[in-house]
Amino acid sequence: MKPLVYLDNAATTAVAPEVAGAMRPYLEQLYFNPSSMYGPAAGVAEAVKDARQSVASLLGGVLPSEVLFTSCATESNNAAIFGAVRARKKRRHIITTAVEHPAVLEPCRDLQRQGWAVDFLPVDRHGRLDPAVFVRALRPDTLMVSIMHGNNETGVCFPIGNLARITKETSPEILFHTDATQTVGKIPVDLTGDLANVDLLTFSAHKLHGPKGIGALFVRRSTPLRPLLLGGHQERGRRAGTENVAGIIGMGEACRLAARHIDDADSIRALRDRLQSALKERIPWLEVSGIDAERLPGMLSLACHFIEGESMLAQLDEEGICGSSGSACTSGSLEPSHVLSAMNLPFTALHGSVRFSLSRYTTDAEIDRVIEVFPRIVSALRRMSPYWDASKGAPRPGVMEEAGESSDSCDP
Amino acid sequence: MGWAYSEKTKQIFMDAVHGKPGTHMGEIEEPDGVGEHGSIACGDALRFSFRVKRHPTDPLRDVITEARYLTFGCTSAIAASEALCSLIEDGGYTPIEALKITNEDIVDYLEGLPAQKIHCSVMGAEALQAAVLDWARRRGVDIESIGLALPESDEDEGRIVCNCLGMSEPYIRRKVEELNLRTIPDITNAIKAGGACQSCHHAPGGLQDILDDIWGPSESEEASSPPVTEGGNADAPLSAFQFMKKVESVIEEEIRPRLRSDGGDIELVDIKDRLVYLKLLGACSGCPGASTTLKLMVEKTLKERIDEQTRVIAV
Repeated sequence: MKPLVYLDNAATTAVAPEVAGAMRPYLEQLYFNPSSMYGPAAGVAEAVKDARQSVASLLGGVLPSEVLFTSCATESNNAAIFGAVRARKKRRHIITTAVEHPAVLEPCRDLQRQGWAVDFLPVDRHGRLDPAVFVRALRPDTLMVSIMHGNNETGVCFPIGNLARITKETSPEILFHTDATQTVGKIPVDLTGDLANVDLLTFSAHKLHGPKGIGALFVRRSTPLRPLLLGGHQERGRRAGTENVAGIIGMGEACRLAARHIDDADSIRALRDRLQSALKERIPWLEVSGIDAERLPGMLSLACHFIEGESMLAQLDEEGICGSSGSACTSGSLEPSHVLSAMNLPFTALHGSVRFSLSRYTTDAEIDRVIEVFPRIVSALRRMSPYWDASKGAPRPGVMEEAGESSDSCDP
Repeated sequence: MGWAYSEKTKQIFMDAVHGKPGTHMGEIEEPDGVGEHGSIACGDALRFSFRVKRHPTDPLRDVITEARYLTFGCTSAIAASEALCSLIEDGGYTPIEALKITNEDIVDYLEGLPAQKIHCSVMGAEALQAAVLDWARRRGVDIESIGLALPESDEDEGRIVCNCLGMSEPYIRRKVEELNLRTIPDITNAIKAGGACQSCHHAPGGLQDILDDIWGPSESEEASSPPVTEGGNADAPLSAFQFMKKVESVIEEEIRPRLRSDGGDIELVDIKDRLVYLKLLGACSGCPGASTTLKLMVEKTLKERIDEQTRVIAV
């Protein structure tokens, strides 16, 4: 058995040992419902309160009452979007981007079907959003803006602080939501600092070495939002349902650890950059998506011309290397990634995407192994590709023209 | 969550439950005043009675010597009842003086109550008022003639909307109509409801729903939604087209030349009503301090030259 090289941390992360340790008592002895009246339950409620405080601290010291626990980031996104829509019945326009996660795109598309006006803003070749395009989209009846913080396929970060400020200067009535599932715990997310104009923010625990099945939605005080789940008084009536206590404890511990490790971003970025330049050097016709944009430190999104992503993943898997091709949610369909399509990636590379995502547990040895293995995989597949002339180490003549692209757009 | 009661609250509750000497659970036979508040349907009910040492000539100088309660309710309701009786007996009050005991006094006596439980202390104060009214009736005291008007409270029983401050739907509705409250901030300013955790603002059946139900849906929202600003300060407000032309010419003739002399430049991104979106370029764009100064300078110039309503937004 080859040692596992786990480079799919944008999909999910290893649960930190400290997190598992913190959760265990709440799965075993401390199973009490935090709403119950007896003493042991009060201890559980106290632990939930502590966990909420550590989530609030990681977000820049917001009020604990501004943090709602949910079941996942998808629920948080749905709660933010549908909750805002139901609280503001007269406003009928939503601004989002073409590259959001499906958990934002699909609610927006559903609202569009029901008669809301939705703008899906385009991005440029490097996945960047033009603030001028954003400004022009703002309307007097704009209900909310939902724009992600860091992209889950490319790691490209949007200037959320700036966009939220422009939004609120235009009208404080417009709600600003951001899906920060990929960024919380990886880069500073300061809702009392540069993100002070953000009203709603989504993230989940399992992207930062916490457990699955627990997410959070930050709801700034006095934001009009109707709850999605009605029932008990939990979360001050804003999200009914018995608390996922062990999950909440795990999320709290994961946030505490993330705050302590936030400076690991530098070493993670150094590993990513080493992987990126080594692969660029060894593999011709390789695109790095978002290379000129501000990116998350642990994210490397590659697109190999003339070969297909899934076959690369299969071979990586043979070697014990876990990566992904586009978003895990996207891979279920035959359509190429909506994110890379929106970035106008050359058609010849669009299907050849591979994403490596690092974490604070990623080692030098793991990076070395990918540098050793991945170029071999690419050339093996290219040898099989009808578009590639292996003897020349170059695409066959006419391929780029056939695909309707100019070869100028790629760096050979 | 299990309620976070103070040690004092827990102790008072335990003492009362165990009937420790000095506690006040019970009922006074042939009392001088009896009052009730709450109902079993609400989950809290309090029957409060007291005896006075009658003044031979002036009922207003009667002094309460003994106070008792029967309470149906939670830990804090029982502790609050105990607190009320202790406060009254210890104070040696006349019934009228006893009315000055507020729910804050009860909460202080208990060394705090969880926010969700504050309404338990209100119940004590309400029952006391009812008992004093009963005493006044028995003793032939005209409460109004001595300048005390007791609020009618029974009609406001109902579903609690603002849990933090214990305010019921009927009470909030009555106040919204009486005081012509149109927005959530109006309600909070007038009667404090919704002023603490704010969860009830947009909850189903919450403050916004009550406002919508009384005044029609979300009138307030429409009224306050920029950027639909009314024209300027001129006699004849500029049309959108005229405003845009003027902004362009002021930028071209005054602002841009000034910026260029400092190595900067400016790009007009969009205009919506009187909102002018600008991108600051060149030497100024890199420095956050400089761009703030610049934004203010441009805004001031446009306000002076064109319309006081103009606002500049840096993109």
